[in-house]
Amino acid sequence: MSKKEDKKGKKKKLSFKRTVSNNLFALKIIWKNAPFYMTVYLISSIIYGILDFLVGSFMLRLIVDSISEKNEVSRIITIVAGLGLINITFNFFMQWFWNVLSPRYTNRIAAHVEKMLFKKAGEVELACYETPDFYDKYVKAMDEAYTRVTKVMRSLNLLIQRIVALFSNSLLLFFIDPVLIIFGVFPLLLGIFRRKSNVLSHKISTEQKPLNRRAEYVRRTFYLGEYAKEMRLGNMYKNMLRDLAATYTDFKAIVKKYRVKRALYEYFQHIGLEVITILGAMLYSTYSAMCVGVDNGGMSIGDCVVVLNSIGMISYCLNSLVQNVSEFGEHGLFLEDVRFFLDYEPAIKWGELTVPSEGGVLSVNNVSFRYSGSEEDTLKNVSFSLNKGERIALVGSNGSGKTTLVKLLMRFYDPTGGDISLDGKPLKEYDGESFRKSFGTVFQDFKLFSMSVKNNVLLRKSTENEDEKVVSALKNSGIYDKVNGFEKGIDTVLTREFDDLGENMSVGEQQKIALARVFVSDAPFVILDEPSSALDPIAEYKMFENMMKATEGKSVIFISHRLSAAVLSDRVILMENGSIAECGTHSELMAQNGKYASMFKKQAESYLGSEVVSHG
Amino acid sequence: MADKKKIKQSIGTVFKNNIYMLKQVAHYTPGYFVFMIIEGVVWGLINSAEAIFTFNLLNSVEYGGNFGKVVLILGIMALFKIITGAFDKWYWHIYNPLLKQKLHLKMQAELFKKAHTLDVACFDDPEFYNDFVWAMDQSDKRAVEVVEDTGKLINRVVASTALVSLMMTVSPWVAILILVMSVLTIVLDTMVNKLSFRQSKENNPLERKKKYINRVYRLADHAKELRISGADGLLMDEYDQNTEKLIEVQTRYGKKYFWFGVFEWMVLGDGIFFAMLIYLILQMNAGALQIGGFIAIISVYWRIRWLLSDLIERLTKYSLHSLFIEKYREFFKFEPTVKSGSLPVPEFESFELKNVSFSYDFDALPKYKFHDEDYVPPKKEANRDALKNVSLSFKKGEKLAIVGYNGAGKTTLIKLIMRLYDPTEGEILYNGTDVREFDVDQYRKRIGAVFQDFKIFATSIAENVMNGEYSESDDKEKVLNALDMADFSVKLDSLEDGIETKLTREFDEKGTNLSGGEQQKIAIARVFASNCDMMILDEPSSALDPNAEYRLNQAITEKTKDKTVVFISHRLSTTRMADRIYMFAGGRLQEEGSHAELMARNGKYAEMFRLQSEKYELTQQ
Repeated sequence: MSKKEDKKGKKKKLSFKRTVSNNLFALKIIWKNAPFYMTVYLISSIIYGILDFLVGSFMLRLIVDSISEKNEVSRIITIVAGLGLINITFNFFMQWFWNVLSPRYTNRIAAHVEKMLFKKAGEVELACYETPDFYDKYVKAMDEAYTRVTKVMRSLNLLIQRIVALFSNSLLLFFIDPVLIIFGVFPLLLGIFRRKSNVLSHKISTEQKPLNRRAEYVRRTFYLGEYAKEMRLGNMYKNMLRDLAATYTDFKAIVKKYRVKRALYEYFQHIGLEVITILGAMLYSTYSAMCVGVDNGGMSIGDCVVVLNSIGMISYCLNSLVQNVSEFGEHGLFLEDVRFFLDYEPAIKWGELTVPSEGGVLSVNNVSFRYSGSEEDTLKNVSFSLNKGERIALVGSNGSGKTTLVKLLMRFYDPTGGDISLDGKPLKEYDGESFRKSFGTVFQDFKLFSMSVKNNVLLRKSTENEDEKVVSALKNSGIYDKVNGFEKGIDTVLTREFDDLGENMSVGEQQKIALARVFVSDAPFVILDEPSSALDPIAEYKMFENMMKATEGKSVIFISHRLSAAVLSDRVILMENGSIAECGTHSELMAQNGKYASMFKKQAESYLGSEVVSHG
Repeated sequence: MADKKKIKQSIGTVFKNNIYMLKQVAHYTPGYFVFMIIEGVVWGLINSAEAIFTFNLLNSVEYGGNFGKVVLILGIMALFKIITGAFDKWYWHIYNPLLKQKLHLKMQAELFKKAHTLDVACFDDPEFYNDFVWAMDQSDKRAVEVVEDTGKLINRVVASTALVSLMMTVSPWVAILILVMSVLTIVLDTMVNKLSFRQSKENNPLERKKKYINRVYRLADHAKELRISGADGLLMDEYDQNTEKLIEVQTRYGKKYFWFGVFEWMVLGDGIFFAMLIYLILQMNAGALQIGGFIAIISVYWRIRWLLSDLIERLTKYSLHSLFIEKYREFFKFEPTVKSGSLPVPEFESFELKNVSFSYDFDALPKYKFHDEDYVPPKKEANRDALKNVSLSFKKGEKLAIVGYNGAGKTTLIKLIMRLYDPTEGEILYNGTDVREFDVDQYRKRIGAVFQDFKIFATSIAENVMNGEYSESDDKEKVLNALDMADFSVKLDSLEDGIETKLTREFDEKGTNLSGGEQQKIAIARVFASNCDMMILDEPSSALDPNAEYRLNQAITEKTKDKTVVFISHRLSTTRMADRIYMFAGGRLQEEGSHAELMARNGKYAEMFRLQSEKYELTQQ
C-alpha cells in the first residue's frame, strides 16, 4: 500500500533530470524523423528573437537618439525602411514554411510516435488491459502522444525566441543603466509560484480523471442506442442522473481543496511581476531621468522612455519564459506516461523456436491460474494434452474456466502454477509470432474490423489471387451468398463508419465472417469459442458440417454450450469450477452416466421429449 | 432538399442562436452570466485605463519635470493592479471553475432528460442520431465557450473603443490607419475561416479513421485478434495511407493560407507598422510630436492591434457556435412520436395485434438544415426487420413462443409490444384498448422484458435487477428471489458484498466482471423481479450453458404458471413447451399452432426442429 502511494507521489514531482530527459526524448524523435524541419524551426526561433529585439527596442532607441541629437532624418528613415524590408522578407519565407512545408513534417512525426505506441500495444500482455493503473497510463499516453511531441518543439521554439529577446533587451538595459538588471532578475524568482500553481493544476486534473470517466459512462448510457431500450423500461435513468450529480459534488470537493492555494500563488506572482518589477523599474528610471538628469550620471529622457517601453517587453518575455519552462515540466509529465508505456517490458517473453507447420502435442501439466486482483484460482490443477489431429470439446457451465483455459493455451496469460508445453518444450521457448499464427481462432467476443470483408477474413495483407481462397472460406461459413450480393463483393467494407457503400451486418452474420477466418487459415491448431451461439439452427448445422471438413487433420478445441456438437468430438472435457470433472469420448462419458450424461440428457429431452431419452 | 445550400447562415441566425445560448446560461447559472458581463465591461475599462496611465506617464517624462505627478500616476497604477489582480485571481481560480462545472452539470442533466424522452427509432436512424443525439455531446462545452467568448468580446470592444478614441485625439491619421487595418483584417479572416471550414470537412473522415485505428489499439476489445493475426500490418498500412492523405489535404490548403498570411502579416501587419513609424519620425522631425508621445503612440498601437486580432478571432467563432446551437435547439424542439396517453393501466387480461404493419420511417424525423452542399446522408438500413400484416392474440396465463430465423422480425415485434415503436398500420390492443391511450411509463412497467441485446449497468447487482429503484428494506427479498429463480444464487454466494456488489470494475476496484451467461441471468432476474403478469423473453438462454438453460426453463414453467410468457428463440428446445408457437419469416406470420400441430403440418417449423434435434437423436440410437 505504502509502496503504491510512494510511486504516485513520485510521479507528480518528476525530477529535473527526468524532465529534461523526457523532453530530449521527444526532441530526438523529431530530429530523427525531420532534421530539416527541426533545423529551420530552430534557426527561425533565433531570427525571430533577434528581429523582436531589433524592431521592438533597438530601433526605437535609434529613432529616439537620432531625433534628440537632431541627426539627418533620411538616415534613420533608411534604417527603419531597411529593417522593415528584412522583417517582411523573413516573414514571407516563414509563412511558406508554416503553411505549406510543416504539415508534412508534423504529421509524420506524430504518426511515428503513435505507431510506436501501437506497436507496443500489440506486444504487452492482455493482463495489462485489466490493470486499471496501467491502463490509465496507457490511455493517457495514447491521448497525448500524437500532439505532445510536436508541442515540445513549439515550446523549444518559444524558449529560444524568448531567451534571445530577453538577452538582447537586458543587454540594452545594462548599457543604459546596470541597476536595471535587478528588475530583470527579480521575476525569475517568481517562477516558483508559477511552478507551484502548475503542480496544483496537474493534481486537480489527475484527481478529476475518475470523475470524468464516471460522467462519461453516464453520458454513454443516455446517448448510445444500445442502452436506449433498458433506459426506457425502468428507472435506471434516475440512478444515472444521480450519479452525474454525485460527480459534481466530488468535483467541487477537489477544486475546493486546491483553489485558494492556487489563487494565492497566482496572485503573488502577479503582484511580484506587475507591481514590484514593472512599476519599480518605471519609478527608478523616471526618477533617474527627471530628478538626477543625464549630466549627473542619470538617464537621458530618450533612454528613460525606451526603458519604460522595453521593461514591459522584458517582463512579458520573462513571464512567458517562466510559463515556457513550466510547459517543459508538463511535457515531461505527459511524456513520462508515454515512455513508461514504451519502456514497459512485456511480462510474456518469447524464444526462438518455430512451431512446425503440422503442429504438435500441446500438453497442459497441472496448470493453475488466478487473475490478478482476484482472490480465487480460476483454474485449478488442470492437466490434459491435445494430440495432433485430435478434436476436443470443452464443455461446462458458465464461469467454469473454459475460456480462461483457452487463453492460457494461446499464451495470452502465463499460468500461475504448472506449465504448458508444445512437443515437450515450454511455450516460452517458441517465437511469439510463429506461435500465435499457428492458431486459427474464433473468440466468444470476436471482433470485426472496419475493413473489407476480404481483409477481415485474411486478417493480413492479401497477396494476388487469394480471392478464391476467401470466397471458399466464406462459402464454408455460409455467408458467401450474402457477401456476393453486395455491390463490391468481398471488397465491401464492413460498417458504414468510413465508407458510404459499407455494409452493417447482424451479429450472426458477423460471426460467420469470423468463422471464415478459421477456414482460410492453414494453422495447425483451431480454437472455437462458442462458434455457433449467434447462428440460427440451419446455419449452425451447416457450419458444423463444414467445420468438421475444414479441420480435417488439425488439432481442434471447441467450446460449446450445445452438447450436440460435443458428439462430433474425439474427446469431451467437462470443466467444473476450474477443474476437469470428466474426460473421455462422448460414448464413454454417456456410459459413465455422470454429470456430462445428465447434462446431455437434459438437453436432448427438451427436443425429444422425456420418453425418448429414458428409453434410449 | 430544395435549399441544400443553406450552410451559409445569415448573420441574423448566428446572432439569434448565440443569444439563445446566452439566455440558457443566464437561466442555468445566473451568477456566471452576470460575471461574464462584469468581467467584460470592467476589464475593458481597466485595460484601457492602464493604457491611458502609461500614455500620460510617457508624456510627463521630462528632465526637471513634475516628478510628483509621475509618482502619483505610478501609485495609482500600483493600487489598480493590486485590486484588479485580486479580483482577477479570485474570479478565475476560485469562482469560475465551480460555476463552469455547475453549468456543465445542469445542461448535461437537461440534455440527458431530453434524450431519455426520444423515441428508440431516433437511435436507429443514423442521420438523426449523428446530427442530433451524438452532437449533443459537445453542447455544454459549447455553452461555456459562448459565455467566455462573449465576456472577452465585450472586454475587447470596450478597451479598443477607448483606445482608438484616445488615439483619435493624439494622432488621427494613425487612428484611421488602425481602423482601416482592422476592417481589412476582418474581411481576410472571414475568408480564411470559410477555407478552414471546408478543410475540416475534408479532414473529418480522415480524422475519424485515425481515431478508429487508435481505438482498436487502445481498447481491450480487439486485443486478442491483434495478437493472433496480421491485422496489425493491415491497420498500419491504412494508418500510413491516412497520414499521407492528411498531409496532402493540409498542404493543399496550406498553399491557400499562405497567400492570406502574406497579405495579413506582411501588408497589414509589418507594412502598416513601418509606414507608421516613418510617418511619426517625420512628425517628430517637424517638431509636431514629442519623444514621449511617440513612444506612447507605439505602445498604444501594439495594444490595439492585439485587442483587435483577439476580437476578430472570437467574432469568427460565433458562426461555428451557431451551427452547434442550431442542433441544440432542434434537439430540444423535437417532439417524440411515441406519445404517452393518459389512461391508467389496468391488470393484464388480454393482448391483441390487429393487422399490424411496421417499417422504419426515418424521413419522418427532422433533418439538420445546415449541412454542406456535398453532404451525403448515411445510408439507411434496409427495412428488413419490418412487419407486414401481423395479427395475433393471447390471454392471461398463456405461454407462447415466437420463432424464426435471424431477421424475421421477431425483435421488432417485441419492440412494438413494449411500445418502443408505434405500428405504421393496424393497432395493438391491451385489454381491448389501444395501447397508445395508456400512460406509456406505466404501461411499460406492466410488461417485464429482457432483450436479446440486453445491457448491464455499471452499478450494484440489486439496482440492476430492480432496474434502478432499489431500497434495501422493501426490495431485498424480491431481488434475492429473482436471482434465485434466474439461477444466479451460486455465483451470488461467491460475492463478498452479495447483491450490493458493483458490476464491472470500471468504477469500483471491488466490482466484479460477469461472464456473458452470468450477465444474461441478471437480465432475466429483472423480469422475475418486476413480477409482471406479462413477460417477454427475447433469446433468454443464448449465453447459458445446458444446465443453466434447463434450470431456467424449469423455473419459467414452474413459477410463471398464472403468467403470460412470450418467448423468442431460435433454439426450438426452449419453445417446445409453449401453448402456441408462431413461426415468422420475412416479417410475416407463417405458421401458428402447438408444437404437435406444427410438427404434423410438416412445414417450415418442422424442418427447423428436425435439423436441431437430429444430432441428439442420432446419439440416442
